[in-house]
Amino acid sequence: MFDVLFIGLSLSSILLLVALGLAVTYGAMGIINMAHGEMVMLGAYVSVLANIWLGANLLVAIPIAFVVTALIGLLIERLVVRRLYGRLLDTLLATWGIAIILQQAIRLEFGLSFFGIHVKGLGSGLQNVPVPQALQGTVSIFGQDLNAYRIFIVAMTLVLAVATWAVMYRTSLGMKVRAIIRNPGMAAACGIDVKRTNAITFALGSGLAGVAGVLMAGFKTVAPDMGATMVVDGFMVVVTGGVGSLFGTIAASGLLGEFNALVAMVSNDIIGRAAVFAVVICVILIKPAGLFTFKGR
Amino acid sequence: MNAVALELDGLAVDFSGFRAVDGVSMAVAHGELRVLLGANGAGKTTLMDLISGKTKSTEGRVYVHGRDVTNQREHKIARAGVGRKFQIPSVFSGLTVRQNLEVAQSGQPGVFANLKMRLDTEAQERLDETLDLIGLTDEAETEAGVLSHGQTQWLELGMLMIQNASVILLDEPTAGMTAGETAKTAEIINRLKGKHTLLVVEHDMAFVRDIAERITVLHLGKVLAEGNVAFIENHPDVKAAYLGKQGIS
Amino acid sequence: MKTLFSSYHVWAYLAFAIVILALPLIGDEFWLNRVAKYLCYGMLGAAVALTWGYAGILNLGQGLFFGIGAYAMAMSLKLKSYTSMQQGSETPVPDFMLWNAEPGAPTDLCCITPGSWLWIPFQSQWVGLIVAVVLPAVFAYIMGRIIFGQRISGVFVSIITLALVLLTRLIVTDAQPLTNGFNGLTDLGWFTVFGVELDPYSKVTYMVVAVALIIVLALTRMLVATRAGTILQATRDSDTRALYLGYDVPAYQSFFFAVSAGIAGLAGMLYVIVAEFASPSFLELSFSVTMVVWAAVGGRGSILGACIGAILINMLEARVSETESLVEAWKLIIGFVFVIVVIYLPKGLSGLAHDLMSKLQSAPKLSSVQKEEAHQ
Repeated sequence: MFDVLFIGLSLSSILLLVALGLAVTYGAMGIINMAHGEMVMLGAYVSVLANIWLGANLLVAIPIAFVVTALIGLLIERLVVRRLYGRLLDTLLATWGIAIILQQAIRLEFGLSFFGIHVKGLGSGLQNVPVPQALQGTVSIFGQDLNAYRIFIVAMTLVLAVATWAVMYRTSLGMKVRAIIRNPGMAAACGIDVKRTNAITFALGSGLAGVAGVLMAGFKTVAPDMGATMVVDGFMVVVTGGVGSLFGTIAASGLLGEFNALVAMVSNDIIGRAAVFAVVICVILIKPAGLFTFKGR
Repeated sequence: MNAVALELDGLAVDFSGFRAVDGVSMAVAHGELRVLLGANGAGKTTLMDLISGKTKSTEGRVYVHGRDVTNQREHKIARAGVGRKFQIPSVFSGLTVRQNLEVAQSGQPGVFANLKMRLDTEAQERLDETLDLIGLTDEAETEAGVLSHGQTQWLELGMLMIQNASVILLDEPTAGMTAGETAKTAEIINRLKGKHTLLVVEHDMAFVRDIAERITVLHLGKVLAEGNVAFIENHPDVKAAYLGKQGIS
Repeated sequence: MKTLFSSYHVWAYLAFAIVILALPLIGDEFWLNRVAKYLCYGMLGAAVALTWGYAGILNLGQGLFFGIGAYAMAMSLKLKSYTSMQQGSETPVPDFMLWNAEPGAPTDLCCITPGSWLWIPFQSQWVGLIVAVVLPAVFAYIMGRIIFGQRISGVFVSIITLALVLLTRLIVTDAQPLTNGFNGLTDLGWFTVFGVELDPYSKVTYMVVAVALIIVLALTRMLVATRAGTILQATRDSDTRALYLGYDVPAYQSFFFAVSAGIAGLAGMLYVIVAEFASPSFLELSFSVTMVVWAAVGGRGSILGACIGAILINMLEARVSETESLVEAWKLIIGFVFVIVVIYLPKGLSGLAHDLMSKLQSAPKLSSVQKEEAHQ
């Protein structure tokens, strides 16, 4: 039983890794960024490239990936998202286009493959990133041998969740963001630069996705389309938890991850995943505001 | 006195402890124009929400022409004859003015009843009359989304007329209007009077004097006073609660 | 009929009908088979435009209805296939069921694998045909009643439909003994009408698809021109206003949602007749979003526009894909085109055409007025 719970915890932490960034961009800006999974993928590729070209290990790649994906996020916000504020469904579609562009950019090695130039680490093939020595092997807890890297991921996810919470609730940026969530017009009237804050928020969400990508690179094969299904999982979590509620996102990822693991134990992985979709559909139908939101007047 | 068109009996709603509307009873006669006055938070808009079914009441009943419509779904209440205009004008912005009015002729609201191409001649004539009445004949083929604020409000009034609602709820019909637009709105509302029963929320006292017969004053969710304009303006409780201790200066 | 066929609309529909009916004159059977597939996609594009453009419902799971239609027809055609006839039983049994069956299981649809009896009615191709259209419509109607009855709208509808199509995909792939899982249904037989077998590589089959598309387009265009169509657009602009006018908004939304699903099911069914396979790839998220891309490029507000958008994009894709090195580049181009269309051309190509035509139509009027003014 304990091992199933641990698998569930591991699944939860991966869900949360993806969902954290989305909780920030969707929760704060109401923007559905379909390219979020691709930001995760880019983060993973940063760790691949850092390993091949700099000899850097995963831990070193984390800050690099954060900066790189945050900057790309900033660029996307400037060029596309900014032009579509207030057109929610259109943002969803435009960012889907961006997702395709990003995938192809990696596959085509930024277009260099047309000229016969190949960049090691890019292209349509699969890549692997070695896990640092210290995180390999297993650790024994309560008499169970648990994968050390999985434990590391769970711990890192918690750290990131706390960091995100701190940014949102303990910094002036977070205060501005929360003001914008409540009332963008009023926030602007109070002197908050809404455009700039939104840009930074989007960059932050993208950066979080990048870090998630690095962590995933340690146990998943890295490929251009690895992010395609992640955005769906991420949204399920954010919507189930309740839009704009960071606590809800964390709780929902825990619930859905454990549920997935439990159902998978009694049937198989496919049915486990299907059950999660079914639960999410029911939650939206019965409580569209999400499970962990509190009803106001 | 005419038959009662709209009757509220001890209507109340409890928002987890806060009673926004607290036992309101009133009767509006057929063809009457009743104005609802009250300070912010007195419960005027909530009362309209309760009548039209947007919010479910926790106590009391609503009768339209003697028919109990309490807490029915919105479109059922609308079919019982209640039309509503919102504070922020709400029309179908992607449709032309004419199409807006066509949609508002909701005599047969079912899906299958509407699988036909066009209205009959009689309905067309009514549509043209209404266009004329609200002064939008020249804009008939214009998309409603590009109308001015005043024109949008009139279109919405026109939609209520052609909907043939016997009881019309108007929430601040002159909000944000210029003096000229307000005057025209008063003219349209005065035309509705008699044929339709109206319940109007309004702040603009000059406008209220223009249109009102009877006024009901709400205060903290309860009915404070009811009477004609002069009676209300001189009512000591109303002065104290709504106009301030000094009254109208 | 003034509003329906005013101005150039009727000419656009007529021109489109003539063009697709005339294609057999210039192309060979191989090429026509490919175009027939695109015509099915065109039908799908029209179905997307009906819900997205006219009802404001962005269905990110339209592939579910296409998939149901495809699988229903494929089940019938699989049972007609020679591969189902060689199992040594009186009645046909799909080959893959035999491979997946427990040793010693009876070679009969009734009980070869659990649930295989579901296949029994599909021995008649007409059951496949009817189920392909009716099941998506009924399913969509029930779904719509639940979703819209709860006043769920916007992105949440998109997420529910998306979750539903992915859920179905998982179930279909998991039910390997019943659906052949990832491999889908292949080696299909041919649909037969009045003794004529619809060979996918024949002009007859192409004409069946083309005529079906023309009928669907005409009926859909007429449907949105009815009062009900106008009321549907009204619910898109303000569902509250429509409610307070006495309309049962969820009923309208569900009705058109069901019509759109039925069209998608029909498209899936025809696709199977032409392409000779059904696969879980129809249920992938990317396919459902791709349909939305077609509709967006063609014009979400126009039934014909979305249809033409789908056909053009696929023709272009086929042309580009002939060069091996450009296959991946094509996806890149599609990505860019999509972003640009969404930002700068929200009404798509048909919106562009519409603006152009109204300029052309109003230009002569203007000049005559100017002439009169000049006379005075």
